[in-house]
Amino acid sequence: MTQLKNIKKWFWVHRWTSLICTLFLLLLCLTGLPLIFEEEIQQWLSTDAPYAVMPKNTPTANLDNFVSQARHRYPKDVITYIFVDDNEPQVVVNMLPSYASDVKLTHSMQFDARTAKLLKDEPPLNSRPPDFIAVMLSLHRDLFMELPGELFVGLMGIFFVISMISGIVLYGPFMKKLDFGTIRSGRSRRLKWLDLHNLLGIATAAWLLVVGFTGVLNELSTPLFGLWQITDVKAMLDKYKGKPVPKTEDLSSVQAAYQTAKKALPDATITSIVYPGNLYGSPFHYLFWAKGNTPLTSQLYNPILVDAPSGKLTAVVKMPWYLRSIEISRPLHFGNYGGTPLKIIWAIFDIIAIVVLISGVYLWITRRKFYAEYFLRLSAEENNESLITNN
Amino acid sequence: MNRKVWGIPLILALITIFGLLAALLGTGVWYILSWITLIIPIVTIVWKCGNPTVKSKS
Repeated sequence: MTQLKNIKKWFWVHRWTSLICTLFLLLLCLTGLPLIFEEEIQQWLSTDAPYAVMPKNTPTANLDNFVSQARHRYPKDVITYIFVDDNEPQVVVNMLPSYASDVKLTHSMQFDARTAKLLKDEPPLNSRPPDFIAVMLSLHRDLFMELPGELFVGLMGIFFVISMISGIVLYGPFMKKLDFGTIRSGRSRRLKWLDLHNLLGIATAAWLLVVGFTGVLNELSTPLFGLWQITDVKAMLDKYKGKPVPKTEDLSSVQAAYQTAKKALPDATITSIVYPGNLYGSPFHYLFWAKGNTPLTSQLYNPILVDAPSGKLTAVVKMPWYLRSIEISRPLHFGNYGGTPLKIIWAIFDIIAIVVLISGVYLWITRRKFYAEYFLRLSAEENNESLITNN
Repeated sequence: MNRKVWGIPLILALITIFGLLAALLGTGVWYILSWITLIIPIVTIVWKCGNPTVKSKS
């Protein structure tokens, strides 16, 4: 009897965790589908003129040049960070009215990386019409509610992972008398969908678990980054306590600081420069985010701190394990790390997941009599078995 | 553990994990290996759906 009791318990877990998260998971699968092809869609929707054709290894222009152009256009604003793209020849300088301003007011200037020519001067995100990908991303990540939304979607992800685990547990007793992939199509429609639900779910179980779990980890990145800031980062900056915060006119050349950072990690590629004063950086340093050049290390970023007034190297910072695991979980969630075929495979898995979800709901709606019979049969079998063993 | 029940699901899971890691840790031929392995669970589903077994006994 204990086995039946166990199965019933797992059934209960599977039913309720699934019911709680299904609607949101459906939304995640649907919005995730275009997000897999984010790059392609952005490119396709973009109205920007193509980049000027120049020899492939034309060097990036002096960073001080971008900075002085941006400051000249907006003398009252402060630079928050510079994005140095390693994929397209662009440098983007981001500004805010002040470091205390709402991040949503960030406006950006896009330059051609090689000629330092201004390509686009864009207003803040919230005064631009929302673009398709941004809407999909908000629906996927936080339902337009920022941190509370991220935590909520993350919680739904935890329910999904538990529902997957309980589903796998139930697969065992269910398939005891059936061959793998049996679909009993001759009898009731419900039975056929039950078999399909089981086949689709078990064949994609590893993918579903990986994408579900890494999705949950991603939703924790805001609080975990915050944790790192109030522990390690704070400890690192403690010795600067009481020192005057450098003003814009005290800053050394960003180009020189960039060279210093590059020398500190010669095998890395610097993709962004966080300005001193930015709340996500240090008041006293230029913070360079540098990623490695191998397939794996290109997913891992190292912060390099360069003293802003003197331009001297302060430290190459070691990232804590919990932020490293989030960095690794990103590609495994997005599916964007193995070329276009991998993205297409991701999309197919995503569509299969949608079928598993919808069939699950269908099975729940048409449950009634079915389970009563199923449990009755299981219990009869168990009685038989115990009779046999007792003999 | 029942090998008849868990054999194929376990193999599919290992293949999937191999495919997911192959493209993460390597490039070039590892990409191709990743695509080939990750498509196996999908092909399995299509194959099983294409040949539904009609069983009268449940």
